[in-house]
Amino acid sequence: MGIVAAFRELDATVDAIEDLKRQKITDMTVYTPTPRHEIEQVVEPPTSPVRRFTLIGGFCGACFGYWIAVWTSDYWPLVVGGKAIATWIPFTIIGFELMVLIGALSTVAGMFINSRVPKITMTVGWDPRFTHGHYGIWVPSTPDRARVVEETLRRHGAEDVRHEN
Amino acid sequence: MATAARPKTVAELSPRPNVASANQQLPGVADYEQVDRDIGGSLTPTAGWFGALAIAIALFLWGAGTWTYQIYWGLGNAGYNPPVMWGVYIISFVFWVGIGHAGTLISAILYLFRAGFRTTIYRCAEAMTVFAVMTAGLFPIIHIGRPWKFFWLIPYPNWRLIWPNFKSPLVWDVFAISTYLTVSATFLYVGLVPDIAVLRDRATNPVRKRILAVMSLGWRNSEKEWRHFARMYLFLAAFSTPLVLSVHSVVSFDFAMAINPGWHTTIFPPYFVAGAIFSGIGMVFTIIIPIRKFFRLQHYVTINHLDAAAKLCLFTSMVVGCAYLVEFWVAWYSANQYEQKYFWNRVFGEWWWAAWIMLTCNMVFPLSLFSQRLRRNPTWLFILSIFINLGMWFERFVIIVPTLSHEFEPWQWNHYAPSWVDISILVGSFGWFFMWFLLFIKQLPVIAIAEVKEIVPPKLRSPHPHEDAIDVTGRHQAYEPDTPGEFD
Repeated sequence: MGIVAAFRELDATVDAIEDLKRQKITDMTVYTPTPRHEIEQVVEPPTSPVRRFTLIGGFCGACFGYWIAVWTSDYWPLVVGGKAIATWIPFTIIGFELMVLIGALSTVAGMFINSRVPKITMTVGWDPRFTHGHYGIWVPSTPDRARVVEETLRRHGAEDVRHEN
Repeated sequence: MATAARPKTVAELSPRPNVASANQQLPGVADYEQVDRDIGGSLTPTAGWFGALAIAIALFLWGAGTWTYQIYWGLGNAGYNPPVMWGVYIISFVFWVGIGHAGTLISAILYLFRAGFRTTIYRCAEAMTVFAVMTAGLFPIIHIGRPWKFFWLIPYPNWRLIWPNFKSPLVWDVFAISTYLTVSATFLYVGLVPDIAVLRDRATNPVRKRILAVMSLGWRNSEKEWRHFARMYLFLAAFSTPLVLSVHSVVSFDFAMAINPGWHTTIFPPYFVAGAIFSGIGMVFTIIIPIRKFFRLQHYVTINHLDAAAKLCLFTSMVVGCAYLVEFWVAWYSANQYEQKYFWNRVFGEWWWAAWIMLTCNMVFPLSLFSQRLRRNPTWLFILSIFINLGMWFERFVIIVPTLSHEFEPWQWNHYAPSWVDISILVGSFGWFFMWFLLFIKQLPVIAIAEVKEIVPPKLRSPHPHEDAIDVTGRHQAYEPDTPGEFD
């Protein structure tokens, strides 16, 4: 259970987040129609780990690309006089393309995993207005602190505050 | 006697159009709700759209029927005349791959450079990339004559233990094009996810709402989602940038790896990449100018955006023009008689008319973009884009046909003329491309809703006195209105 609030204005949302944080209420989810630096600054999120997926995916892709080209060339050699069987320069094309392919797909997978998408249910603590023009704050809260949270959100100009289970 | 002051003309009120700052601002867009309303509203089908779609499908069916005819009767119907065994199909393959390049340039490279003018045109360009590469991928399959054998190019474990030759440019092409198509389609789709969520929450038709809900993957616009999304988008752009340069370089290796006169040159990779980006920008103009007019999106794709894109077009035209001239210089300086003969033959030989179409459309006409008046004239940009498309198709014709028809030994020389089968399949490819594109623009947002919202000033309780003049990078700029009368 918790409280979800919808705001019309960006600065009101930022003020509400700051106030909640001052009251040691940090386990909240903020919704914004578009990424805003003001919100990122006040939420102070950790650095996204998506970059690790990119690095590992790209490295694996490059290794696989070189390996498949070298291994198949050795397995079924096309012997041309004076020419190497495993030729690194042309195989770099295969290594590069697979680095990009696997690296890009891993990056997307990293975003999906870290953002927890795809989501099956999205009814609790959310409102369709958050994809339109409203900002939103969802605070999971026990009954004892619900009143404080609600008051804080209303004080900063929330257009709509509602309790959800 | 007092005289009434003469009202100032538009030119006097704004003597110089605003180019410096308004490419990062949309003065005609007030708030986020308007963005959803305007762009979402453009998805309603119109009679004109149905008409255009019907024409595109008819052209596609004509091309598909002709391909069926060719499969049944054989490649002999395609106008090949030994030794000219690469013709319209390979020309069109290179042409369509090139068209795709501007999409990645605008969506990825300009994103990394933080070019503000890309915001409203990149979605169109990205979709164009995906559909153009889909079209390009068909041509090698059509060209091999036995399309059911195409899978031999793909490395897969098989009982004969035979693998493709990784030293062959044809195999490089398979890897480059399939990677490019996959990454471009992924880039397009993940960029669409937040916008599909907007449509999902505005949809009233339950079936459409359900489909959009599945496609949007339950996206909720949370700060956490945006954070990971931004990081992913940055890395995808960083991957796409070298990818776009590599793909047309690999395509150019199809030619440069051969020893034929006119092909065996190290200038081909940068020359092909520049040409690809130039032709792609031409196609972006061909597409975006009618869209902004018929969808009434002039206040999103503003004259300033077109102006900035036109400067890019002019720059790439000059790079391509320089490459044309360097080719002639290299042939002369090499003292290789075959190269020299080839390049003389290019402009004064059998296909002189094709070479002069290429030079005129790609080097001469784009010089008109030095004029600011013409850069800011959508009608001229549209006409010019048609010439660029024509010129770039003929560039590939000039690269391929004169070389193959005029090799080292005179007894090898021969003529080439496309048959009705070649031309029909080429026309059908335009039908195929525009069919997908027209379906796309009425199902999904043609302008990126979330990114446009980023440059629209947010609602504030206590607005900053200079809010309108803060650009996307956070710098204050003196506010200047866009060209007066632009939205009238």
